[in-house]
Order: sequence, then structure tokens, then C-alpha cells
Amino acid sequence: MTRIAASLCLGFIGLVLLTLAQSSALPVTDASTNPAVIPDPATLHVLQNRYRSLSKQLNQLMPSQPYIVVDTARNHLYIKRQDHVMLDALASTGSGTILDKPGEAKGQWVFDTPRGEFTVQSKLINPVWVKPDWAFVEEGVAIPKSYTDRIEPGVLGEYALGFGKGFFIHGTLYTRLLGKNVTHGCIRLSDDDLKSVYRLAKVGTPIMIF
Amino acid sequence: MSRPSVTWILLWSFLLIAAPPTRAADTDYPLSVDVTNPAALQEATRILAEEVKLASRPQTYVIVDLVDRAVLIKGRGVELHRFPIEHWSAGELANASATFRLQMRPPVSRRKIEPAAGGEQAPISLDDMPTDFTLQFSPNFSLTVHPPASDDIGRWLRFKTREWWMWLKDVAITLGTEKGPLPHPWLYLSVRSDHAQSLAWTVTEGMAFLVRRTPQSP
Repeated sequence: MTRIAASLCLGFIGLVLLTLAQSSALPVTDASTNPAVIPDPATLHVLQNRYRSLSKQLNQLMPSQPYIVVDTARNHLYIKRQDHVMLDALASTGSGTILDKPGEAKGQWVFDTPRGEFTVQSKLINPVWVKPDWAFVEEGVAIPKSYTDRIEPGVLGEYALGFGKGFFIHGTLYTRLLGKNVTHGCIRLSDDDLKSVYRLAKVGTPIMIF
Repeated sequence: MSRPSVTWILLWSFLLIAAPPTRAADTDYPLSVDVTNPAALQEATRILAEEVKLASRPQTYVIVDLVDRAVLIKGRGVELHRFPIEHWSAGELANASATFRLQMRPPVSRRKIEPAAGGEQAPISLDDMPTDFTLQFSPNFSLTVHPPASDDIGRWLRFKTREWWMWLKDVAITLGTEKGPLPHPWLYLSVRSDHAQSLAWTVTEGMAFLVRRTPQSP
């Protein structure tokens, strides 16, 4: 306690002295002023060249073809080409809710749309939903033993684009819920927007989700 | 026209024709910087060099740009989302040159689905995200986000007090009056509540953060 008090006193005295002396030890804030800099021309030239070279490298890493951006907070899907927005679609993304796995003490399903960068891995026409275990658990019904009992056609719309680990961009019967976080992780679109995405995206198209 | 002039004209014409076509993006500079300021250029090139490494892999990352006063969420060099920083203060930023990895997302209360309950479960939304939080990183770095005075004067005062306490502790350690680990870099960002919630929503464990410092950062 004595040490803390001593530190506080010293700190306060230091603050006063530093303020009077206009020392640079004060916390830096965005109100601080820039000190004058006299550049050495040779060093400056080297730095400028490096800056240009790195800028070019970064620009070359950007997708040159159309890419998909999904904003899960605001529930929008965009298709962009460089900075130009080719499509702005209202979407539904993961609800963030959790469901306990039966028979597992700490096992849970977490219904988030994954964040990060992915690619379109598959493009399907007239997809059917093969219901996973959580769909039955959520309804409170037994998980069927037969694969065919899991199949539910007509709920995913006309197209689906897979981007890995069972996640898809697909259609929905619940268009009134577009714009809300209501899915189990997949990204839902209206029929028209889904058709546009299917047309514009190819296998390998980057999908950036945040 | 003399022969040397014709030669030069032909040479330049050939070079122009043979030069590969450049995209408009080749002349775009991702960071705005005063190219006559070596300290600013050095920092900008440091950020670009780190960002090139991050953008080469499939991931999203965050750049806290104290020069342009903005937080940028990016992937592959593409800006996905941006929001302004109202005010910032920092300590030991000279040690903030690494690529920092987030250790844990801000805590959020998730709703649990009750099987066979029927009806729609209330989903999580931006409103469920905290408006003030501290993010801890590896290597050691902390980033505290809090609302500006205009949003919540009480909380702003509380965080201001914490900022000065952090600084006093750093000074005490530097003066050698208190034994302990060397001070680690820290940053306080004052951002609008909805932007803070947006950041809390977006970040994931292991996400990379870069801090672009101002030329006068200590």
C-alpha cells in the first residue's frame, strides 16, 4: 500500500513537472503536434520506392474478378468487382443461438455464420436439404436412422453455392425474415438475388465474411 | 529532323507499345501518407509489408489507423468495412510494431434454443454486443474501446480515469519506483457505440490486428 501511494505521489509530481516541461512522455493522443522533420534525400527516395513497391504488391493481391462480401451484422451480401458494387442483396445470416447436443455434457451447436475468407466450392441447381442432426434435435424429434428420411426438397430455392464445412448460400421460403440473423449459419437470399449470385459467381470466387 | 531525335522518338514509341497494360489499381495507394516525411513513410511501409503477408492468406484482419483515425476491417487488401475513431490515446506504442493476434472475443450472452419449444427463437443482433470492452492480444497489447463523451459522459469519465492510471503506472515502472514487468503497449479508442458494437461483432479469436502509428508515437 505504501509503495502504491508512493508511486501515485511520484506519478502526480512527475505529471506536473512533465506538463510544465512539455515532455514527450505524456500519453500520445491524436491532439499531439508533429515535430519538424528534415529528410535525407537518399533515404527518402529509398523509402518512397519501397512504399510504391509494397502498394503495388498489395493491389495485386486484391481479387481482379468479382468477389462476394457478406456483412453478417447488417445482413447484406455484396458482389463487387474492385470497388464497384455489382449487386447489393438483403440476406439472412447466422442467429448466434446455441443448441445443446443430446448425450454430450458440454457439446453444443453454435449457429454462427463463419467469419473470414472462403471460396465458392460448389454450385448446385435445385438443391435438396439433407437435414443434419441439429434440425431434428431442435424440433424435439428423434434423429432418423435412414438417410432418405433426412431429405427435404424445395426449401433451399433454385440454387445453392457451397463454401465449405456444410455452409451454403441458398434461397429461402421465409423472405419476410431477410435482413435478420435467423439462420443456422448458412446465408439466405431472395430468389432473384440468388439467381444473380449464381450467375456472377464461379467455383473459386472469393467470399469474404465479416 | 535529325537522326538522333528520330532514334529517340522510335525508342520511346517502342517502349510505350511494349509496356504491359497497367490496371487502374496499380496506381492506387492503399494508405494515404506524406511521402516527404521519412518517419511517416517508414510507418506506412511497415504496415504495408505486414498487410501484404496477411492479405496473402485467406483471412480477414483489422487495421487500427491512428493517422487517418479509422478502424478498417479488410481481407485480401480489400476494405470490407470502416468506421471513424473519435479520439484515441496510447502508451508504449513504440512496442506496437508487431502483428497482434486477438486472444478472445468480447463476451456476449447467447440465447439457448429449447428443443420443441416452437415459435421463433430471438436471434442475436448488434444490439447485444457491448459498447465498451478491452481486447487482449498476443504478443502483449491491449486495446480498449469505449464510447465518446457525447454518447455516455459517465462511462467516458471512467475510461479517462483508467487511461491516466495506466499512464501513471507506466511512468512509475519507468522511474523504477515499482518493480514489475515492462509496460506493454496499450491503446484507448473512443468510438461511437454502434461502431464499437460492430467491432465486437466482427472480431474472432486469432484475428490479426495491425496498428498504424503516427510519426510522433513514443
